[in-house]
Amino acid sequence: MTAAAAPSRFRRPRRENGGDDSGVSARRWFTPWLLIAPGGLWLLIFFVFPLFSLGRLSLQDGGLSNYSTVISDNSTVIIRTFVYATISTLAAIIIGYPLAYVIATKGGKYKNLFLALVILPFFVTYLVRTLSWKILLFDNGPVVGILQSVGILNDSQGILGSPFAVVAALTYNFLPFMVLPIYVSLEKLDHRLLDAAADLYSSPARAFRKITLRLSLPGLFAGTLLTFIPAAGDFVNSELLGSDRTVMIGQIIEKNFGKEFFRPELSALSFMLMAMILVGVIVYARLLGTEEIA
Amino acid sequence: MTKPIDPELLEAMAQHRTSRRRFLGMGGLALGGLAVGPTLLAACSSGSSSSSGGSSDGITVLNWPLYIEGDEPSTSATLKGFTSSTGIKVDYRNSIDGNESFNTKYQATLEKGQGIGADLIVLTSWNAAAYIGANLVQPFDSAAFPNKKNVISRLSSPSWDPGRANSIPWAVGQTGLAYWPDKVGGKITDVNAIFDPKFKGKVTILDEMRDTVGLTMLGMGANPTTGTTTQMLAAVDKIEKARDAGQFKKVTGNSYTEDLAIGDTWIAVAWSGDVAQLQADNPGLEWVIPSQGGMLWVDNAMIPIGAKNPEGANKLLNYVYDPAVAGPLYESILYIPPVTGAEKYMTAAAQASPFIVPPATPPLYEFDVISPDVAEEVERAFVAATEQ
Repeated sequence: MTAAAAPSRFRRPRRENGGDDSGVSARRWFTPWLLIAPGGLWLLIFFVFPLFSLGRLSLQDGGLSNYSTVISDNSTVIIRTFVYATISTLAAIIIGYPLAYVIATKGGKYKNLFLALVILPFFVTYLVRTLSWKILLFDNGPVVGILQSVGILNDSQGILGSPFAVVAALTYNFLPFMVLPIYVSLEKLDHRLLDAAADLYSSPARAFRKITLRLSLPGLFAGTLLTFIPAAGDFVNSELLGSDRTVMIGQIIEKNFGKEFFRPELSALSFMLMAMILVGVIVYARLLGTEEIA
Repeated sequence: MTKPIDPELLEAMAQHRTSRRRFLGMGGLALGGLAVGPTLLAACSSGSSSSSGGSSDGITVLNWPLYIEGDEPSTSATLKGFTSSTGIKVDYRNSIDGNESFNTKYQATLEKGQGIGADLIVLTSWNAAAYIGANLVQPFDSAAFPNKKNVISRLSSPSWDPGRANSIPWAVGQTGLAYWPDKVGGKITDVNAIFDPKFKGKVTILDEMRDTVGLTMLGMGANPTTGTTTQMLAAVDKIEKARDAGQFKKVTGNSYTEDLAIGDTWIAVAWSGDVAQLQADNPGLEWVIPSQGGMLWVDNAMIPIGAKNPEGANKLLNYVYDPAVAGPLYESILYIPPVTGAEKYMTAAAQASPFIVPPATPPLYEFDVISPDVAEEVERAFVAATEQ
């Protein structure tokens, strides 16, 4: 779609110039590399090198068999992690999209206030935010009390420790990462397009589907990544709000990485997590058709 | 089972300290988020004390947080008293945050035969045993450390360091049960209460293998200090079956205290230091060493090879092992004093505290110092049983 133009803008002119005029090319060739050097160096030191040593560690002691061991030992945990991350991402879309839409289109002069409210919880640290959920959801607390009195939960049922508590907290903690990118893409939407659609007898629903939704896809895509990736790697929500039946991959790694004999396998698990997220992202990008980002 | 505790003492306990494990746990969570644990910690600690050096008249001590009075070691009465009586300055650092991360940071250097800039280090028994076995530490000098004889008899000669030639306990803590009598319907004395279906979903156990497996073994009639691998694995099996049946609310590290404090957990396998604190806010909470016994963990001071001033390190230990010094120190840090007669130098309230002076019965057991291979086997089984 609109995407194809972006990458080509960087590639094509240089190739043309290089062919036409080889005299200028030496400097031109050099400049972009110089410009990416700071960022590239940063990536090299803080991303490529750690990744490389993690990869090397993951092959110690058992070689590739570390990978098969770790998958078979943790299959339940791996599946659970991706199910939780997927549900919380979907929930964040369902909650976040309308919210962003309303702020962007109906916010008027209060736009910035609403946005500030979305970000406000982030002024409190992650740990404290998550712990305060405990106070809301504990067995003798307000939420469980109400749900029990209206009969949704029976007297012996609670919320803390359940998958629901973990997924809800994941959704809550990463919601702003969904709202903000969607807001940005909706905010710059040209409203004349919608007027044009109306002039051409399109129903509002159809106009939303064909125009608003399409044009906000990059924001939705970015929001999904920003929500799904940290949710899949999270180890705090389940540790604090879950139980021994809601264990996620991040917890296994966090708890056991100190044990020397576990380290190669857990490095393999970290790599697996990364690879699986990457595959998921590529598939998702293909489905959504945003070549620009993928 | 427990003696009544002086409320003033409890309040004092709650005011000026958090327990070591909780302190570490919160730090761990924050740092874990960055997934760079040891490296970052190393960077932090070397940055904050770059003036370490090797002034030959001083000594450098690496210890766990909250193992000396106060938050700032330089204000510690024990260390000040030592410096004024011997003239030896102490560079005391709260830099050990775990046995495993300590090994990551220092073991390779010591194995090369090099010093690590420390004259005294403190490690848990199973790890201390490994260091002694690999000759990474040096024996004490009995001329400079005559008070070594004051070590309490039960800890005076472990199998892995006969006669305490190379290591001496610095801190001793207990693992037992904490529970709400109003919720469980009375007193609990049997360790198997954690497996009682009556309390299904209301029990938390610790994710430290040695604590949870040790208590389970006691409940099965086995002795955690002398037990066989088969008995350990049988205990793991019992834990796994109970977990599959939904017996446990959680298998957790430090975060068990929150669920316990709000009453969602009825019975918890708990560390003595945490419960001492929780009781200050929750007088109804009970602490018990079960009738079958409780677990004991010991962190041991040792002089690493390459120490610049082993003489000074011996002298510091000698000073701490004077009961008149140990009494106030252990009253302040709330661990069992490993020094005979230290209780005599404590207040009456501290002497009545089961956290500092536990009753003679039920007995406390230290988990067997098992070989690395056995440890790996049991740890793996335990992780599979409780997490995977």
